[in-house]
Amino acid sequence: MIKLFYVTDIHGSNVCYRKFLNALPIYGVDVAVLNGDLLGKVLIPMVEKPGGGWECHLMGMYTEMNTEQELADVKKIIENAGYYWVHQTREEFEATKADPKQIDKLFKHAAYERIQEWLELADERLEGKSHQMYICPGNDDWWEVDDMISCMKVIKPCDNLVVDIDGHEMVSCSRSNPTPWDTPREESEEELAVHLDELCKRVTNYESAIFNFHVPPHGYSLDLCPKLDKDMKMSAEEKIHAGSQGAKMVIEKYQPLLGLHGHIHESRGAQKAGRTLMINPGSEYSEGILKGVIIMLDKKKVKDYVFTQG
Amino acid sequence: MYRTAVPLFLSGIVGRSLKGSKGAIVSDELAYARKASGLVRGLSMMDAFAVGFMNQGLTPSIWVVVTLGLGVFLGGNLIYACIISAVLAGIGFPLVWGILGGSMPRSGGEYVYNSRIIHPVYGIAQSFGDAAIWLMWLYVLAPLAVDPGLTMTFNYLGWTGAANWLTSASWHTFLIASVLNVVGFLFVVFGIKIFARVQKVVMFFGIGGCALIGVVLTITSRNSFMSKWNAAAAASTPRGPSYHGFIAQISTQAGQIMPTHTNWSATFGTMVAMSWLFAYAYSIAFIAGEVKRPDKSIIWANTFAILVPFVFMMWIGLVLYKTVGFQFLNATAWNDNNGNTLASMAGMPHGTNFIDLAVYALGSSAAWAKILAAIMGFSYVAFTVWWLALSYLAFPRILFAWGMDRMGPKWFTDINPRFASPVKNHILCLVLGQALLILYYTLLQNTLQNIVLTGMQVTSVFIPTAIAAIYFPYSKRAKGVWDSSPYKKWTFLGLPVIVWGAGVDLVYLGILLYYFIFNSAAKQFTGPSVILFVGVWVAGIVWYYAWSAYNKAKSGMDISSVTYGELPPE
Repeated sequence: MIKLFYVTDIHGSNVCYRKFLNALPIYGVDVAVLNGDLLGKVLIPMVEKPGGGWECHLMGMYTEMNTEQELADVKKIIENAGYYWVHQTREEFEATKADPKQIDKLFKHAAYERIQEWLELADERLEGKSHQMYICPGNDDWWEVDDMISCMKVIKPCDNLVVDIDGHEMVSCSRSNPTPWDTPREESEEELAVHLDELCKRVTNYESAIFNFHVPPHGYSLDLCPKLDKDMKMSAEEKIHAGSQGAKMVIEKYQPLLGLHGHIHESRGAQKAGRTLMINPGSEYSEGILKGVIIMLDKKKVKDYVFTQG
Repeated sequence: MYRTAVPLFLSGIVGRSLKGSKGAIVSDELAYARKASGLVRGLSMMDAFAVGFMNQGLTPSIWVVVTLGLGVFLGGNLIYACIISAVLAGIGFPLVWGILGGSMPRSGGEYVYNSRIIHPVYGIAQSFGDAAIWLMWLYVLAPLAVDPGLTMTFNYLGWTGAANWLTSASWHTFLIASVLNVVGFLFVVFGIKIFARVQKVVMFFGIGGCALIGVVLTITSRNSFMSKWNAAAAASTPRGPSYHGFIAQISTQAGQIMPTHTNWSATFGTMVAMSWLFAYAYSIAFIAGEVKRPDKSIIWANTFAILVPFVFMMWIGLVLYKTVGFQFLNATAWNDNNGNTLASMAGMPHGTNFIDLAVYALGSSAAWAKILAAIMGFSYVAFTVWWLALSYLAFPRILFAWGMDRMGPKWFTDINPRFASPVKNHILCLVLGQALLILYYTLLQNTLQNIVLTGMQVTSVFIPTAIAAIYFPYSKRAKGVWDSSPYKKWTFLGLPVIVWGAGVDLVYLGILLYYFIFNSAAKQFTGPSVILFVGVWVAGIVWYYAWSAYNKAKSGMDISSVTYGELPPE
């Protein structure tokens, strides 16, 4: 039996990533899979004030920092929430906000720096240990992240690959069906269905296989999220299915042992589709809560699973 | 393949623009956002307020305050009791439940807080009590929706045959109570969309009906009320008691002169029944995981869910004293609480609860008066049936939270993909609730009802959670949660604000508990009640250890360390 720890959608949260690494020895994990989305969504300029100190907007509040300690404290809050920060003068801030290309450049610099820091931390902490660790990006992650993962010593990439996990073939896919945000790794439902089918055909034994798709299958309880109106405002009253028809098709067609999914943060849960147990551990990265699931896998069956949060 | 990042005004993520603060000139949002997916929380502060406020009940709770509160504690002053309750509960409850909910914004109710702060077994044991309470409310409230709810509403409409049928045999009441129980189930089982829509309708009729009661009593003078009462008595067959005659007859039957002045001890006793109006916004804890900006929304939603009932209770209390008079109101409360057994009342068109008094104040049997009276009566029914729905909201979520922590079978966590709700848990709630209704109408009617549940709520939910709140800043188990709590820096006189809040909360709960234990009229810690309280906690403890053992045998690991433990953040 192997103990697999699965976490998804930490969106740049430093505290969640560190908790994830710390969880491996605490939970006695054999294999850890960190699924995307890995990148954060917000970059906060820490703008120098004319008389000294810095100012920023954080969580809806104007925040002033007058000492180095205050600055360090705010930076930590920003990093733990999955945001990024950048030092700017008032002139730099005014120039940047009018220049999308410059914002893009700053964003990438901050995001890649954090990913590199994470990957090196994992290499450092896991080297010589028995834990295996796989990382697969998600639809929000820029493609350059794949190259960074593939360069590491201990961490193994798995996107678009079939990898062997103690006799279980795990096939992974970071792409998603279209979202309202037009994110980097989206494909049309038709393209995604073909892509997933091609990928799954490479598996030799479906009875023990794991389908690790960032996007959950459409129409089950793992893909329910609030409906958005045309102004992208969330409905508190109505939920819709936002999963992929392609993912649903291949899971129902090939009937793997296990389906691992993320993407829809609020749909934490487990559900069966025929013989396949599908799990979405959900995410509350912005609260600094690491949500995950530990799965006890026998050769041909899921012996047990436990949702975790810490 | 990626989109260019752009600066965005992201309300709720990076907040509003703010110009000028301590000399700083901040022209716009100081943040950039890129296009990325991911939504988590959808409920606003108003949504959270609605869930909390609707669990305070308003019309039926004011009925409880007057009928059970004054009816038991003659001479209690509604205004003083309301102010003391609102101050204590208005400080204690929002601080305790708001800070705990904002620090641990998850949807499992207080089970989440107690299990994380003190110990899982403590959390499960008190949560067992809470789950039992939510179930028991079904058999307490469904019959109340029938009688006095539907019976008075039908009487107001002149449908005396229908009203009499409802109470002419216990199986009639049971049948309609069962129908209402199923209606409450149906409001929730099909998902939050239907729940939210029905809630708006119930709020409209419920608040509207209660406001109408207030308006009618406000515009009626004492003399006008007395003459209308006397006219109704004169028109009754047999003739009913006059205004002054009623007070005299009730005094004789009660064996004491109806009080004319405030009795302070009785005023504190009245606060027990008044807790129905002020202590139940804690239901927000069951949706805390879905509320936007939980650090602010939950605390404010709790506060407003206490303030609004306070305004209504003050209004209704003041106009009751103004219009019907202190002594007469005490007599009506005693009469209503003792089953309207006064022989001379047999021919009177209505009973003597506070809604009946507003209907007497209307003083007309015209169609418009019947409709207005029915709207007032329906307000009681609407809120009471909605309470049933809230039981169907809360109980399944408690089970869901247990299931997520492996403190129950895995199907506790099943979400129906069509309705986006835990349908299996809802059905279990319906079955158990209906079974309790059957027991209530057969074996348990005299031992388990109404105010017993308030006592159980105080001892199994409010006090244990207040204790956890006091301990929260000092708990080693929850150190990580406290360190990252947005309220960590909230202090007053050197102590964390949550400790002060919990202290005030315990003062309030202590007053309630005193009357449960020591007052002969209200005490509930006797016989079957104590067995029930203790039995539920023991069952919870057994449940915890049984599931822990089962999980360990099945998975070979200590599940508790995984589900309840903290992970080091560095």
